[in-house]
Amino acid sequence: MFNRLLSPFRSTTGLARWILLTGVVITVVFVVLAVFAPWIAPFDFNQRGIGADKFPKMAPPSGEHWFGTSDQFFDVFSRVVYGARTALTVVALSVLFSVVIGVLLGLLSGYLGGWPDRVMVFVMDALYAFPSLLLAIVFSFLLSGPLGGGVVAAALSLTTIYIPQYFRVVRNTTVSAREATYIEAARALGAKDSTIMGRYLFGNVIQSVPVIGTLNAADAIGTLAALGFLGLGIQPNEAAEWGYDLSRALDDASAGIWWTSFFPGMAIVVLVVALTLVGEGLNETINPSLRKRRIRKVVLPPREASTTSTEGGVR
Amino acid sequence: MSAGSGSLPRYIVQRLLLIIPMVWLLLTIVFLLLRVAPGDPVSASVGDRLSQEALDVRRAALGLDRPLIVQYFDYLGDVLTLDFGNTISDNRPITSIITDNGGATLTLTVGAFVIAMLIGIPLGLMAGRRRDTVGDVAIRTFGVVTYAAPVFFIGLMMQLWVAAPLGWPTSDIASPITKFEVEPVTHILLVDAFLSGNTEAIGDVLLHHLLPCLTLGLLLSGVFIRLVRVNVLQTLKGDYVEAARARGIAEKHVIRRHAFRNALVPVITVIGLQVALTLSGAVLTERTFNWPGLGTQLYNYLIARDYAAVQGIITFFALVVVLVSLVIDIVNALIDPRVRY
Amino acid sequence: MNRRRGLLALASAGAMLVTLAACGGSDSGGGSEGGGTDASGEPWILGTTESVTALDPAGSYDFGSWNLQYSIYEQLLSIPAGEAEPVPDAAESCDYDDPQTVTCTLREGLKFSNGNDLTSSDVLFSMQRNIEIADPNGSSVLLGQISNGDAEAPALADGAIETPDDLTVVFHLNAPDTTFLKLLSTATTSIVDEDTFPADKLLDDSQVVGSGPFKLSQYKPGEQAVLEANEGYDGERAAASPQVFIQYYNDPSPLKQAIEAQDVDIAWRTLSPTDLNDLEGADGVEVVKGEGSEFRYWVWQTATKVGGDKAIRQAVAQLIDRDTIAQDAYDGTVTPAYSIVPPGFGGQKDSFKEAYGEPSVDAAKKILDDAGVKTPVSFTLGYTPTHYGPNAVDEATEFAAQLNDSGLFDVKTEDAEWEEYQTLYKENAYDLFILGWYPDILDADNYLSPFVRDGGFYANNYSNPEVNKLLDQELAETDTAARDEIIGQLQDIVAEDVPLIPSWNGENVAVATDQMEGVEETLDPTYIFRLWEISKSS
Repeated sequence: MFNRLLSPFRSTTGLARWILLTGVVITVVFVVLAVFAPWIAPFDFNQRGIGADKFPKMAPPSGEHWFGTSDQFFDVFSRVVYGARTALTVVALSVLFSVVIGVLLGLLSGYLGGWPDRVMVFVMDALYAFPSLLLAIVFSFLLSGPLGGGVVAAALSLTTIYIPQYFRVVRNTTVSAREATYIEAARALGAKDSTIMGRYLFGNVIQSVPVIGTLNAADAIGTLAALGFLGLGIQPNEAAEWGYDLSRALDDASAGIWWTSFFPGMAIVVLVVALTLVGEGLNETINPSLRKRRIRKVVLPPREASTTSTEGGVR
Repeated sequence: MSAGSGSLPRYIVQRLLLIIPMVWLLLTIVFLLLRVAPGDPVSASVGDRLSQEALDVRRAALGLDRPLIVQYFDYLGDVLTLDFGNTISDNRPITSIITDNGGATLTLTVGAFVIAMLIGIPLGLMAGRRRDTVGDVAIRTFGVVTYAAPVFFIGLMMQLWVAAPLGWPTSDIASPITKFEVEPVTHILLVDAFLSGNTEAIGDVLLHHLLPCLTLGLLLSGVFIRLVRVNVLQTLKGDYVEAARARGIAEKHVIRRHAFRNALVPVITVIGLQVALTLSGAVLTERTFNWPGLGTQLYNYLIARDYAAVQGIITFFALVVVLVSLVIDIVNALIDPRVRY
Repeated sequence: MNRRRGLLALASAGAMLVTLAACGGSDSGGGSEGGGTDASGEPWILGTTESVTALDPAGSYDFGSWNLQYSIYEQLLSIPAGEAEPVPDAAESCDYDDPQTVTCTLREGLKFSNGNDLTSSDVLFSMQRNIEIADPNGSSVLLGQISNGDAEAPALADGAIETPDDLTVVFHLNAPDTTFLKLLSTATTSIVDEDTFPADKLLDDSQVVGSGPFKLSQYKPGEQAVLEANEGYDGERAAASPQVFIQYYNDPSPLKQAIEAQDVDIAWRTLSPTDLNDLEGADGVEVVKGEGSEFRYWVWQTATKVGGDKAIRQAVAQLIDRDTIAQDAYDGTVTPAYSIVPPGFGGQKDSFKEAYGEPSVDAAKKILDDAGVKTPVSFTLGYTPTHYGPNAVDEATEFAAQLNDSGLFDVKTEDAEWEEYQTLYKENAYDLFILGWYPDILDADNYLSPFVRDGGFYANNYSNPEVNKLLDQELAETDTAARDEIIGQLQDIVAEDVPLIPSWNGENVAVATDQMEGVEETLDPTYIFRLWEISKSS
């Protein structure tokens, strides 16, 4: 199954491959920043000074503070690095949850059919029609109560928005695959429902998940930043979050202080671009009508001395 | 036209009927989520001025201390009689919020879409035609970057570095004088300005639309670029294109007359999807530009935990999305002969 | 075919936009043309982030609404700019017959802007409907002295208001209250027309009618309100401008950009400290500051183990470095507060300064040692990042850092969104938590009774019979000097018992273009923005 997941990557070619690679490289850079944040960032994400000396307030980029400092005495570079950690953790969690729940529900619903299927489709369509940011906002209100507004609450708020997408794709694929001959054969052999779903259907439907997953991740970063921007996400003392830093930097920008908004903003843009490139690149290859197959060189057997022309045109 | 158009009216009726349970479902979801979340309109506004007893008295006056199920059926009953009531925090009739502020969101969205299509479609066509060239890569990168950039970030940059030097207005839909002078006939300020014939007012409103529509349109264009490009690529692989080439038709005619037209058909479907996305993003865009639309209202009422207002506005959004989807599907059915009922 | 049409459309749209940008740019500057009916004095624009709940006096309890009401209606009394005592407005005189009775005589010939006469029955009607409607967003709670106190069926107390003739109103209060005259100057007692306003519900915002210096000529909720000078007004507060536009902003950033570009003439409430400091250096606009009465304070929940320990409370009061908080968290735009009552109020004294002096780790350590408290003391500090603006976060962070750096405390900060926060602090989730306050009336009592009488409105379980006794005394005391003395004593007790720690007082700040006049005068602790005194010179 792992091979099945990786096969789209392997069959890329040409520009699609470069796009994919660029996206992957940039994403890996961010992952490294996220994982090794305590070693890469010179200061802690809510550190305001060293010992009794506070950092300068809103100082421009310099040797000690590569991206300058903010209104709250934070080092902007450290906030950006730790922000990568927050963003990737939240997004990974939320995509993971949505995939697990969405795929499961989609498989079940598609396979079982009938009334449960129709009801699920209906509910999912309703959720899909719901403006997603609003849903995220309302959920963040809801979850910040018991969960205290941390990383997990943010992740869960985002999860609900994306479940319908996985559900839809998986369900549709399941429905069309359900009647395929090989499934019928399996049933004739006496395979249980769970075996059919697990062994046969799952592998086939899972192919489209990486594409949706990466595009989701891209969208989730944007939504997390939006939540933070609106003041509804993660607080600065809990973790660094780019959207929150942007919201605090708004008034700085019009006062000529550009570094507090530029760097977090660019971080968002670059990471989302990277993830989108990965998703796009994958899409180009998985989608057969877009695929440009690698042209393999055909070696013709050497011509035999003969009177008949055997030159078959290579098409 | 399409075969089976006799069943199209039946399909439309089916879809229209489905709207009712869908709206009911959304209403219920919103109701539950809001009530379960901590807080209520009373504590949101005067929580730090009054004692617990005084707060409880106010909550009782609003009927917020009744069991949830009672409040739910009460609300449903009102909705069925089309009585959406007033907001809790400032006593405005909810229908008046929609009429007064819906127009602003409408003109912003339409303006942004127009710009997005004007930028996105030609660029998408160009990119699709010149696959894997530098131009293609540049355009695609542009598409991805504009999609990735958060509207509040780009909006701020545009306000500071584009609008300010050029002297363009950076916020709101019109100057106070224009708002004062233009008669609200349709409640859509742009249309009303045209109707009033007051050229200064028209110019003022259009100028205020410039920056927000441009910003949002730029960000939306990415979607159109990518979509059109992909469709062009798929179309160019089609048999009929190859047949046209085989017949000896010049490449540029092949592309223009056959490929492009067919590539644009799915654009219509995407517009429907994008409406949902744009409405959801309206909150951010409108806040960035202080735009008096439904997005701003929704956000303010959400913070104030004004259940009535939030339920009303979200229901309206959902209705719009569902109706637009229906219209798109009908248009699709009419122009795309492959769609059958 | 499609493409060519598309390109043409693009080109013409572009041309149109360019033309509009060119001709629109010249008159995008707002304000100076159109609108005004009066040749003298120019219309001007106020930009604010305050929002309006209702224009009906019975339906609001917030600055945005009250400020419009002061312009549209008359009250019996009013507080002139920069002063603390009320002077006659609709009334010719209002005096205490005894601490429980007030008699007001109306001016003759008062009329509403729709031509109806304003008589004592309108005054009775206005107060009565306010109490009876008891709107959840309203401020009828302020009229406690003339209410029947029944929460289920609120009404005017029997005989609370007498109107022996068209020009006389007599108030009989439930208990002696020397702050009642100040209450008669608040917007909640605005006089409305009994022939226009319904007695049992609020009147639609667009139809309100009053007798004040302005009439409402347009109201777009959340966007703008337009006021026009009321020609029929004959009182002291005549409008200096024929027309005023009030533009409502949702965020400070666009407001700051607007005042910088002079798209609005005055920006009042609320710009961030960064914005204000940046505007100090801007051309053409001036940052005007006046005294304010906004109050930020930290409340001890005395029911918790830490909060209940007086020595700990005093030690923290000894340690807090208000100057650093004001400088680092607020960029110096607020003033440290050394008493529960802000400066400028009768009887105010800096009790906390007297009791604790400068922040001192040694003195705090001594307090703790003397009481036998083991250090470091750990406790939870609560704050909310949403309701009080983003700088509250910085204040909490700074305060906690100060306490932790002293080595005597181990403070954990916790935050919650405003809604959740209110539930949590009432459930004793925090030992020390932050709240903010604006006065209803400009009287020291408004900073005492709501806080220290039997746990205060925030239920912190602090109850001191001595305090309650003094509160009753000062409310009944008519001699100013004696009253000030009692108020001073109350502040001293608060500094000793420390049920709360005052943090800062806000200034009343506005940013105005150089052409505006009358702005500085109206910036006073009442936060009444006297639109009628402000004018724009060309």
